[in-house]
Amino acid sequence: MLVRNARRWAPRGGKRWIIASSSLIIAACLRSLLHPLLGPVMPGTAFMIAAVLVEYYCGLAPAVAVMIAGLCIADYLFVPPYGRLDVIDQSDLRLMVSYPLITIVVVTLVERLRRAQYRAELLASVAQSRYEMLLRHDNERLIARRATDEMHRMLHHIAQHNRSLILIKAVDSSTSAPPGSFAATAATATRNGIIDDELFRAGIAYGGKHSEVHREDLVRVSDRLVPGHHRVRFLSGEEDWRPVDCVCERFATPSGDFLILRADDAT
Amino acid sequence: MKAPTFSTVRSNDHAVLLLHGLSSSPLELRFLARVLADEGFATHTPNISGYSAGTTHSRMEQWVSAAVAEFDALAAQYTHVSLCGLSMGATLCAAVAHERPSARALLLLSVTLNYDGWAIPWYRFLLDYAYYTPIRSRFHYREREPYGLRNEALRAKIARAMQKNGISEVGPASIAMPALHEASRLAHLVRNQLKGISSDCLIIHAIDDETSSPHNARLVEANVGAAFLRTIWLDDSYHMIPSDNEREVVARECALFLRESAASSASSSNAMPVVSRALARRLRQLATIAGK
Repeated sequence: MLVRNARRWAPRGGKRWIIASSSLIIAACLRSLLHPLLGPVMPGTAFMIAAVLVEYYCGLAPAVAVMIAGLCIADYLFVPPYGRLDVIDQSDLRLMVSYPLITIVVVTLVERLRRAQYRAELLASVAQSRYEMLLRHDNERLIARRATDEMHRMLHHIAQHNRSLILIKAVDSSTSAPPGSFAATAATATRNGIIDDELFRAGIAYGGKHSEVHREDLVRVSDRLVPGHHRVRFLSGEEDWRPVDCVCERFATPSGDFLILRADDAT
Repeated sequence: MKAPTFSTVRSNDHAVLLLHGLSSSPLELRFLARVLADEGFATHTPNISGYSAGTTHSRMEQWVSAAVAEFDALAAQYTHVSLCGLSMGATLCAAVAHERPSARALLLLSVTLNYDGWAIPWYRFLLDYAYYTPIRSRFHYREREPYGLRNEALRAKIARAMQKNGISEVGPASIAMPALHEASRLAHLVRNQLKGISSDCLIIHAIDDETSSPHNARLVEANVGAAFLRTIWLDDSYHMIPSDNEREVVARECALFLRESAASSASSSNAMPVVSRALARRLRQLATIAGK
């Protein structure tokens, strides 16, 4: 895959030109220190090393500038006759051919490798971004699946305990769907089921069993219902009330959180 | 072509201020605004005097003031206000986020702090100096192929619109030199302000952006002071990422980030749960890397 910005791998700003200038000066100083030892041998080597290092760290333009400046300095200071420009002999020609040739080949190779490296880094960043997006989508999918499972569990619960259902209450009626909508079938199929507008607004739907519950207990559980076991009074005979164990369960569905109270089937 | 300012109706307590690119129009963010509105966010995409197309030139300080005024107007109505900008609009959003730390989230799409993408000519830096010469009132920087679009069909359509109207849904055919100069000043200001930006930050950038190279996004990523920072790299788009091949990805990730940012705020207790083990592992890895 072609990434045209791969050619922009080098750092930006004036700092790289400062580094390039410093490298040139250091190369010139080192070659000057070695000059008594080396004489006219390898006049451009220090500048070639400087140009390659600058290419690796700072990019093509500073490297080319170091190479050209290095060629001029090497020819002027380290090729006999030293410190003169007016004489161009075989030594000058050797330097002008060999030094740029070798430096350009090495700098070009380094430039190509750096571009390939930067391209690989960019593509790796894309791959990493996609992987993280995939993980976030997977997380959303799992959350949705969990919510769907919970909804199925609640609907199954309503259908299974239709006859013993006392009430369904939305934990937060402002953000939840009307609980009566889930119990509609159950309520209409049940003799005493109630779904009216006022209860819809309060987030409560009564099941068929509610008519047998003592009025005080019904008001109590309608107001303050928490998950767990409850004991409420059920009508037994004409005017006799007997305590019955009831179970309240909480369901966190995509349509909101609901509490369902039913008479315990065991009793 | 006069582009209308458009806003969606108030849908919940989270509004997004969308700022388009330099000398362009709100049309270039139309798709993103529509998706965000569908996701339940109230969006506002204003024309800013002196910055938008068809308005007289003004200094960048006035752009920032006008954008801050738009932000304040939304902040008076909504609990959360986030900023989203494209190109130089992203830079302008960063300047607003620095002025208004109450911004919930900052979405930077193809943020431009330097015009250094592969399609920018090497002599671009000369324009900074040309501004101080008499040609500044006559020179216009002309947009050329690929017009920020990798999608060739859309590019052909945009080219026709630019020839006909001088502006298209992805920007103007040319930008005046004073506007470019002010944009450079704004970018310089924002580069120095990045550490002072504390809003949650999402950076989306194409690796082959022809106008602003990936260095721009990396610079923001390395220097912004946001505690919640996410960077997304794209490989099938150029500069105009909300209109190009991956516009759906851009819109979806923007909406997701806005939801996560609002959920993670102190006033909200319904943060999105992490149920995927792979995501939990990845978040732990990222936290370890960030801690080092």
